[in-house]
Amino acid sequence: MKKRVCQATAFATAALLSGLASAQSMPDIGFKSVGRGAPLAADLRKYEFVGPVVPAVRQPDGTVVRDPATFIGSAQNGATPKDMKALPVDLFTTKDFYKDRALWTDPRYFRCNSPVGIEEQRGANGGRGVIGDNPPLTAAWGRCDRDYPREAIVSPYAFKSAQEHYEALLAETKKRGGPIEHTYATVPGEWTGHYQHPGRTPNNPWWFRMRHNQVPTILSLLTPEYQARMVQEQYHAAVDNAPQWPAQYCWPEGFMRRWHEFAVSDEFILVTPKAIQILTGVSRNMLTTINVGREFKMDGKVPRLGADVPRWYGDTIGFWDKDALVTWTSNIQGWKVHGAIEFSSKMQSIEIYTANRDKDGKFLGLNHEAVFYDPDALVQPVRIVRNYVKIAEYEGADPFVFSECIPNIFPVKGRATPVSPGSTIKDYEVLDMFNRPWDQIWEKYFEQGMDRPKQEDIFKFD
Amino acid sequence: MKALIKPLLALGVLAAMPALAHHSFSIFNMEQTKVLTGVVTRVNPDANHLQVFFAPMNDERKNVLRGEDGKPLIWAIEMAGSAQSAADGISVNALPPGSIISVNLHPLRSGEPAGSRTADSAVVKCPEKKPPAAGRHCDTVDGNLMLGGKVLEPVAK
Repeated sequence: MKKRVCQATAFATAALLSGLASAQSMPDIGFKSVGRGAPLAADLRKYEFVGPVVPAVRQPDGTVVRDPATFIGSAQNGATPKDMKALPVDLFTTKDFYKDRALWTDPRYFRCNSPVGIEEQRGANGGRGVIGDNPPLTAAWGRCDRDYPREAIVSPYAFKSAQEHYEALLAETKKRGGPIEHTYATVPGEWTGHYQHPGRTPNNPWWFRMRHNQVPTILSLLTPEYQARMVQEQYHAAVDNAPQWPAQYCWPEGFMRRWHEFAVSDEFILVTPKAIQILTGVSRNMLTTINVGREFKMDGKVPRLGADVPRWYGDTIGFWDKDALVTWTSNIQGWKVHGAIEFSSKMQSIEIYTANRDKDGKFLGLNHEAVFYDPDALVQPVRIVRNYVKIAEYEGADPFVFSECIPNIFPVKGRATPVSPGSTIKDYEVLDMFNRPWDQIWEKYFEQGMDRPKQEDIFKFD
Repeated sequence: MKALIKPLLALGVLAAMPALAHHSFSIFNMEQTKVLTGVVTRVNPDANHLQVFFAPMNDERKNVLRGEDGKPLIWAIEMAGSAQSAADGISVNALPPGSIISVNLHPLRSGEPAGSRTADSAVVKCPEKKPPAAGRHCDTVDGNLMLGGKVLEPVAK
C-alpha cells in the first residue's frame, strides 16, 4: 500500500514540476512534420472563461463553494452590460430560434454566453445557475470581450480527408525508416499505466470544453444543418430547461464525448505490440483499441476494419513512428455531445499520441493531438490538443471497472425524470434511436409551431 | 470441457450460436410465415439481433398502410447479429430509410407487428423508388438485390 502511494505521489510530483510546462504547447518532435506537431495558433491558458458562471472552487476540506461575488460575466438578472446594446430578440426571448438564423453570427443573440455558459444558466453542472429571477428572460450575460480564436481551433494542416492525412503521415514515417514493428521486448511499456483525468490536470485546458468561446465562433465551424442543431441544443438547455443528455437515459456516450469535459475521466492505457487499449469515461464505458499495422477495408461508405456496422467509438488503426503513435479512426456512429456539437457518421479522426519527456528523457505522459474530419458537420477540419499525465502504474490505482448502465431516468413529458420501479409512464413513446432521439422529444413537447427543418418524405414514390 | 468443445467446433455448432443467443425464439410462431413488402424506416444494428423497421405497403403498392391517426404502421423484423447480417449484405448502409424491401418472417404469437426472419429466406431489395406491381414483391422487380439468400420464399424443409 505504502509503495503504491509513494509511486503515485512520485509520478504526480514529477508531472507537476516538469511535465506541465509542455501543456498546451506541442512536444518537440525534432523535425517539421507534414501532419503532426504543428504549434497551436493561440495558447488557451492565456484565455479566461467567457461565462456566465459562478465558478465552483474546491476547498481544502473537499467541499465545493460557489461564491456569487466571483461571478464571471458582464450582467445578471435582466440587466444589459454597460455600453452594450441588446438585440430586440435573442435566444432567451425568441418564439422560434429557427427563424433567427441571421442573428446567430452575433454574440449578443446568445448574450455573449459560451456554449457551456448557456447550459449552466440553470445549474446544469451544479449550483443555482445564473438564469435570474424571471427565467429565461433574466438570463445572465457572459463576457463579450473574450473568445478563443477560431484559427487556433481549425486544423493547421491542409488535408481534406483523414485518409489523405494518414497516408501522408505514413509516407513520412517510411521516409524516416519506419514504421517500427514492436515486439514485447521493444514496445514502450512505460506508456502502460494510469493517467490523470485531463480535465483535472492543471494547466491543461482544451477548447472543446466549450468554456472559452462565444457560441458564434463554434457555429462558424459547422455546416448550416449542424448549426441549427447546436442552437437547438442551446435553446432547450436554457430556455425550457429540457436538456436531453444521452447518458442520463443510459443512451450511448458517443465518439466525441471522449473530448468532453464531463465525460472524460482518468485514462487507463495498455500497450502491446499489436494493440493499444485506452479505457476511460466518467461512466466507465469508453474503450478505444488501436490496431497496429492493420489496414482499413475501403469498399464501404466509410473505411472500416470489420463488418459493415457503424461503431460508437469507431474502428482504429495505427502505426509507430519512433516515440509517436499515429492513428486513424473511422466507421463512427454519428451522435451528439450535449452543450457542444452533433457529428455525423462520416466523422473520422487522425490522432497522434506523442511521449512527453523531461529534459533528461524521463517519460511523463502523452501529448494527444486529434484532427477531426466530418464533411457533413464541419466546414473544415478542427483540432483538439491535450495532455495526459501519467500518475501511476496499473497497480497504483483503483482498477478500471467497465460499467453497464441500467436506466433509472426516462423522458416524461419531454423532461428527464427519475422513475421508480412499479411506476407506469403514461403515453411512453419508444424513440427512433438512430434519428436524433433528443430532437423527437423536443419536437413533440417544445417545438410545436416552429419553423423546423423539413425532412425528406420517404413514403413518396412518384 | 475441452473434449466437448472440440467436436462441437468441428460441427460448426459454436460458430452458429451467436445468432441464436440473447432471447428465446418461443415468442415467434415458427409454424407460420408471412411475406411482406414495405418501406424501411430504420435499421438498428445495436440491438442484440439486428432489427429492421419497415412500413408495409398496401396491396396496390402505391402507399404504406396507415393507422387511424394517419401514421404509417411499422413492423419490425429481427435478423441475426449485426456483424453476421452485414456479411449477408444486410446493414445500415445497405438499407437506408426509404429502401423498399420484401421479407419473409415468422410473426409474433401475440399478433403484434414483428417477426423473425425465416431461415434461408432472402431479404429482397427493390431498386430505389421502384415498388413492385400490385400484389407482388421485390423478387419480381428487375434489378432487385437478394440479400442473405437466393429466394424470398424457400421451400420448407
